[in-house]
Amino acid sequence: MSKHDSTRRSFLKRAAVGAGAVAGSGLVPDVYTQTLEQHKDAAAPSESHATSIQHGAFFNYEQGTTIAAFTERLMPGAPGKAGARDAGVLNYIDLALAGAYADLQDFYRRGLAELDAYCRTTYKQPFAQLEPARQDEVITTLEQGKAAGFSWPTAQEFFNVVRTHTMEGMFADPIYGGNRDFAGWRLVGFPGAQGNFTATDLQNKQTFTRAPMTGLQAQAGLQAQAKNPQRTE
Amino acid sequence: MATQKTDVVIVGVGAVGGILAAELGKAGMKVIGLERGPRLTTQDFSALDELRYFQRQELRPSSKRQPVTWRPDAKTNAKPLPILNYGNQAGGGTVHYGALSWRFHEDDFRARSHTIERYGASAIPADSSLTDWPLTYADLEPFYDQAEYELGVSGRAGNLQGRKTDAGNPFEAPRRREYPLPALLPDQSGVIFAAAGQKLGYHPFSSPRAILSQPYQGRAGCTYCGFCQSFGCHMAAKSSILVTKLPEADATGNFKLLTGTMCYRVNSDNSGRVTGVSYYAADGSDNTIEADLVILATFIYDNTRLLLLSKTAKFPNGLANSSGQLGKHLMAHIGARVFVAFDDRYVNIYMGPSAQKHSLDDFNADNFDHSGMKFVRGAQLSVTPADLEAGPIGASISMNPPPGIPRWGAAYRDFLAKYFARYAAFIAQTENLPYADQTVDLDPHVRDQYGMPAPRLTYDWRRPNEVARIEFLLNKLEELGRASGATHVWRSPTGSGAPGAHHEGGTRMGSDPKLSVVNRYGQSWDIPNLFVIGSSTFPTMSGFNPTLTIQALAYSSADAIVNRYKKSPGALV
Repeated sequence: MSKHDSTRRSFLKRAAVGAGAVAGSGLVPDVYTQTLEQHKDAAAPSESHATSIQHGAFFNYEQGTTIAAFTERLMPGAPGKAGARDAGVLNYIDLALAGAYADLQDFYRRGLAELDAYCRTTYKQPFAQLEPARQDEVITTLEQGKAAGFSWPTAQEFFNVVRTHTMEGMFADPIYGGNRDFAGWRLVGFPGAQGNFTATDLQNKQTFTRAPMTGLQAQAGLQAQAKNPQRTE
Repeated sequence: MATQKTDVVIVGVGAVGGILAAELGKAGMKVIGLERGPRLTTQDFSALDELRYFQRQELRPSSKRQPVTWRPDAKTNAKPLPILNYGNQAGGGTVHYGALSWRFHEDDFRARSHTIERYGASAIPADSSLTDWPLTYADLEPFYDQAEYELGVSGRAGNLQGRKTDAGNPFEAPRRREYPLPALLPDQSGVIFAAAGQKLGYHPFSSPRAILSQPYQGRAGCTYCGFCQSFGCHMAAKSSILVTKLPEADATGNFKLLTGTMCYRVNSDNSGRVTGVSYYAADGSDNTIEADLVILATFIYDNTRLLLLSKTAKFPNGLANSSGQLGKHLMAHIGARVFVAFDDRYVNIYMGPSAQKHSLDDFNADNFDHSGMKFVRGAQLSVTPADLEAGPIGASISMNPPPGIPRWGAAYRDFLAKYFARYAAFIAQTENLPYADQTVDLDPHVRDQYGMPAPRLTYDWRRPNEVARIEFLLNKLEELGRASGATHVWRSPTGSGAPGAHHEGGTRMGSDPKLSVVNRYGQSWDIPNLFVIGSSTFPTMSGFNPTLTIQALAYSSADAIVNRYKKSPGALV
């Protein structure tokens, strides 16, 4: 109901912005992350967990929850500053592992299992249930290669790959399932794929705001228009 | 299995192969080009997509299907390199390159003699195979000119027929005429770099690039979108071989391009001549081409690998390797890097062609006095985005934050948010000396998708001469950074000893058949109807990007083949 409505509202809002934003923002990611959020509040997560919609393209529920928490610590959101959750980084990684990065499925499976074992041994809790400060402590230990119990991937390998994929999910074109509503590009002030900068733009010492952000879907739309002008109104 | 006959077979249709195909085809020779990758079109490059082309390297070979392994020394096990920095389609690396188009300096062609003359033989490290080229700058100048005008290079002359112009690069060797196109406009990073350089008394200029600053030969001028290095140009303003020489080769009616083909052997007979090549076609079939002339024009890995794989009883150590030099003297550019960031202004470095935008040449080659220094030769200094490409994925992956800021978390997020559009990288692209024990050979353990042994690199740039040079250059870059008025100036770590960009060597050219694999035309000393052309023949590397020199050598070889070899097939030297 209300979840559905807000999803639908934001969908319509984005649809009004342009063709790029529609597919770019991705409907699946909204539904997926919101249902994960829902799970946190739900009294009986195991039941709703059983329905197919909570599962993504690759991760199971536990894995998705862990990656969502982990990537949010790498790129935390704050008021006015989009983080991994806002940008849909989990959805990006989930889709990538089901497609372009299918060869990394076992890397993630094993890395997540190692992380889970490490957290349960050290803190008696899975990663996602630790306080953010504790989560940061764990990530630091991984980054420094000091977490015990990792073989393959090593703790550092796992950290580095998740960090890289977090950045991809923040900043890749929304068509890949992250960077929702250009959240990552807005965060850093990247105008996206602009086909043209003028001599004046090149000499501008201020932030660039002349043109709207453009994603791949919008580009494709513009190209279609250029090829078939009679078909546009 | 099919067999075809032709006059010439070219293996690899990139920077070299495209030029040879067009020039030989125009001379009436029937040419077949074998290309491992696809032939794409400008329309294929409409997606300005950083993930696809920069991060996932779509225009480069897959490190999984085409592994290349690396080890720092012969005692260490080689592991596959995670990223392969060369082309994998018709047009080769010129499709995705930053299009830097330099002529080497006069002393680049005689680095050994020049160093001895100025500093004495003891200045050259004892284990370095630093040497002179078998040709001079003056020999190559007409072909540099031909490449610049036929392909379309933008720049400003610094030295017209020996007269300094007070513009462009004052250290450049004399050129017969201006560039065909005016220099590209600087973006803010170029303006900042130029001001810093001038303040310190150096000589900055807009880097010469094979990118059209104005319409040329039916192609439109650059629109400064910034999706340049790593990307195919969406409007064909980049003068890649794909949009310049391949259409020319097609128009001759004498050129046939076979894409999706992998050459696995150069065939030869007992008379000491090559007879053609064998290759796998896209459908997996095993085929043969019989040709009077075989030209290897792949990236350096495969030029060496193919000769090693094509050994015979006559050439038990690899085809055309009676010298024993095959696979030796591997070189690569290493980039020393300093970041600058401004609190009081934006830089917007994502605008304009990426890669080395503005440069200064004061510390390249022997353009500065090395007396009392612990190294010889120098580097080209430039301003670029973090990883030559300017999007936020590149910045977040390749830019280390300044000391005190972690690589993740709220502080890192705020660093990226504040400085992504306010930073620039100052880089030094070093001329590393050749060493005979830096090699390309066949990996005994790793095989590629065709079952062929992977090329294995044994290489570590961290030699005393190179380490001393890097330290000197990092200090220069920091000095430039401070002079730029940047709020923050910090170094990037120099990393492992792995090879960087622009590999050279493996089939060294020379003037002595006992000390080199090919002559100045890329013609095998052992087998006159076999040519190897490309940066694999470079005896030394220069601090400049290699492509224009590769292309000039290709024009020089084409000229020698068409005007001399064709009439009288045999040794050109």
